[in-house]
Order: sequence, then C-alpha cells, then structure tokens
Amino acid sequence: MPAQAVLPQRRADLLVCEECDAVYPRRALAPADLLRCRRCGATLGRGHWLGVDGQLALTVAALVVFAIGNLAPIVTLELSGKRSEATLFQAMRLTWESDEHLVALLAGATAFVFPLVVIALRLWVLVPLRATRRPAGLVPALRALRWVMRWSMVEVFMLGVLIAVVRSAGISSVVLGPGIFAFGALTLLLTSIQACGLHGLWDVAEAAPG
Amino acid sequence: MSTSYPSAPALGLAGCECCGLVLSIDRRAGTWRCPRCDFRLHRRKPQSLQRTWAFLVSAALLYVPANLLPVMSTSNVFGHDDHTLVGGILELWKSGSWELATIVFVASIAVPLLKIAALALLSATAQRRSRWRQRERAGLYRLVETVGHWSMLDVFVVVLLVGMVHFGVLASVEPEAGLLAFGAVVVATMLASASFDPRLIWPDGDEHA
Repeated sequence: MPAQAVLPQRRADLLVCEECDAVYPRRALAPADLLRCRRCGATLGRGHWLGVDGQLALTVAALVVFAIGNLAPIVTLELSGKRSEATLFQAMRLTWESDEHLVALLAGATAFVFPLVVIALRLWVLVPLRATRRPAGLVPALRALRWVMRWSMVEVFMLGVLIAVVRSAGISSVVLGPGIFAFGALTLLLTSIQACGLHGLWDVAEAAPG
Repeated sequence: MSTSYPSAPALGLAGCECCGLVLSIDRRAGTWRCPRCDFRLHRRKPQSLQRTWAFLVSAALLYVPANLLPVMSTSNVFGHDDHTLVGGILELWKSGSWELATIVFVASIAVPLLKIAALALLSATAQRRSRWRQRERAGLYRLVETVGHWSMLDVFVVVLLVGMVHFGVLASVEPEAGLLAFGAVVVATMLASASFDPRLIWPDGDEHA
C-alpha cells in the first residue's frame, strides 16, 4: 500500500449508475421525475411525493394491517358441518408438523418475519428522522433493511392466497375472512413504501444532526 | 455510441452499491469502505461469475426433483393422491380457472427455467467480455431481478392449502418432498441473480482504468 493514500472524497455533485458505472451530474428530482441511465437504461433516481412524514404514515398503517392480517382468519372453510379457520401462523404450524420443517421456515421467513422486520426497521429509522434526530444504529439498520427488503414477499403470498382459495373451493365451501383484505392492503402499502428506495433515506439521515 | 460514456473507474470514482454515495478514490491504495454506510467498495462484486455459476448449477439440478416429485398430497375418504407442480396447474385448468392456471404455469415452470437460461446467457457473455447487445442484456438482467421472487408462489399455495384443508379423514392436504426442492430452486436462482454483477456487461471501463 503506498504511503500517501488519499482518503475517499465525497462527490455530492455526481451520480454513478449502479448497473454500468456511467457517471452523471446529480440534480434535484421533482415528484414523478424518473431519471434513467442513457447507456444501460437502469433507473438512476426517482422523485417522490412521499417524504419522511408520508413514509412514516404508510409504515404505521402497514403495521396495523400486518397485525390484522396475521391475527384474523384469512379464510374460513366448512365441510360437513366442520369449520376450519386458516391463518398464516396455523398454516406454517401444520406444515411444520407434517415434517417439512425447512419449507415451513422458508414460508414463515418470507411471508411473516421479513415483512415484519422491514416494517420495524423503517419505524426505527423514520420516527427519529421525523424529529430531525439521527437514529441510533442507523448504518446497521439501513443495511439490514436493504438486505431484508429483497426477501420479503408479501405480494407473492397475497397471490398465493387467491390461488389456494380457488383450489380449495372444489373441496369445501370457502368464506373470505378479514385477513385476506388486510393482506391485500399490506401488499399495496409495502409496495408504495418500497418504491421510495433507500438512497433518499441515507441522504436525509446524513443531514440530520447528532 | 456506448463507448462515449465516461465510466466511474476511468475517472477515479466509485459509486457505493449500498447507499449510492459517489466517492473519488485512490484504487491503488487497496480497498476502501464507504464513509457513509461502511459498505466495502468494490469495482465488481467479488467472485461474481463463479458464485453465479455455482448457484445456477444447483438450481438446474434441483429443478429436476422439484418437477418429478409430488409437492403435496391430498387424502379423503376415497383415498390418497399425490400432486406434482404440473398436476396442480392441470387441475386449475380443468376446473375452469385458466387465468390462474396460466399465472401458476408462468410463475412455477416458465420463470425458473427462463431465469436459469437468462443468467447463464448473461454470465457466459460477461465472461467473454462480449459487447453483443449490451443494452438488451442489461434489460434482461433487470427483468430477472424483478420477476425472481414470484416463483415462490407455489410454495405459499401449498403451505396455505395445508393450513386450510385439515378436516381429518374427510379431507386433508400434506406437503411433500418436491416442495422443498422447488423452494430451493427459487432461493438458488434468487441468490444467483444477486451474485451477478450487471457492471460486468460493460467491460469498456477496464481498459482505460
């Protein structure tokens, strides 16, 4: 290593495409602006209507519907007078008891644990940011959020619920429960929040004092 | 036209993969970490192609048991039936839900196969530092990244059916070994596309660095 290594210098005036390394001048984006890389077509940046307040509001709403979705039955089935209420937790438990432990863990992680972690980490970061304070543990929180967002699959789970309902309709009568609507709402909320990306939060957090 | 774009390494710059901060760095001085998010700044993801190939081969091997073994079994007073992925799609089709049958076919059969093929094509061309249709290849990579997790659909469907249909001897659904193989295919293809570095599609910068 050379003796006089120059430490990295920040270039807040520039933007580098994450997918092809093309360099652009950074500019402020108005809501609905979409900046694409001219070389590879990747999205470089996006203007958002949602600031910290908006993201926090949607995240709190997501927490509420997440609770409803997991506590209330998704569907109720009836066969020859026997009723069965299905929740995500119970589906995971029965899968576990059928000795498919890894499948139960995979479904539980991607449909329950990771979405909950996404919501919790967002709240952890957004609540102090709203009071213009730098959140404790900001760096590990945002880095964990970046990883866990990739493996959170509420929207796929939602479609899976619809298909499972259609397939079980041949076996017994099916009544939709509050859980299914809560998961529908959760899908919309998490997709809207996810669309804001994380780079904006890094920028806001950096500007926050202490 | 693609050669006229200034690329970050050629200008002594690096964009942080994690937080998007742009830094001007001295690469001869070894590796640096991003001062904002502490992420290691690499010019390329380390061992990107080796890792992508390893996950791809695993996914391709697991695809065989995922499709041959039953993913679930149903039992009722009349007996016990095993269902494979394709069997489930045919059932949906026969019951008149051809829209859902199409969605499940795309998510469970077509997407995993096309993902493996697309990533193999991307890795092979990147390895040869090919300049063939770079923009289209970049688009293909983004498509693979976007649709990737939708293949998990059938795992959720079976787990939900297990949770919904449990009426003892009257009717019950159990998960079977094929489901684990299928879940593993989805995870392996997602890890493969996460390991692939799309910057490898654009090798131009290297020569000027």
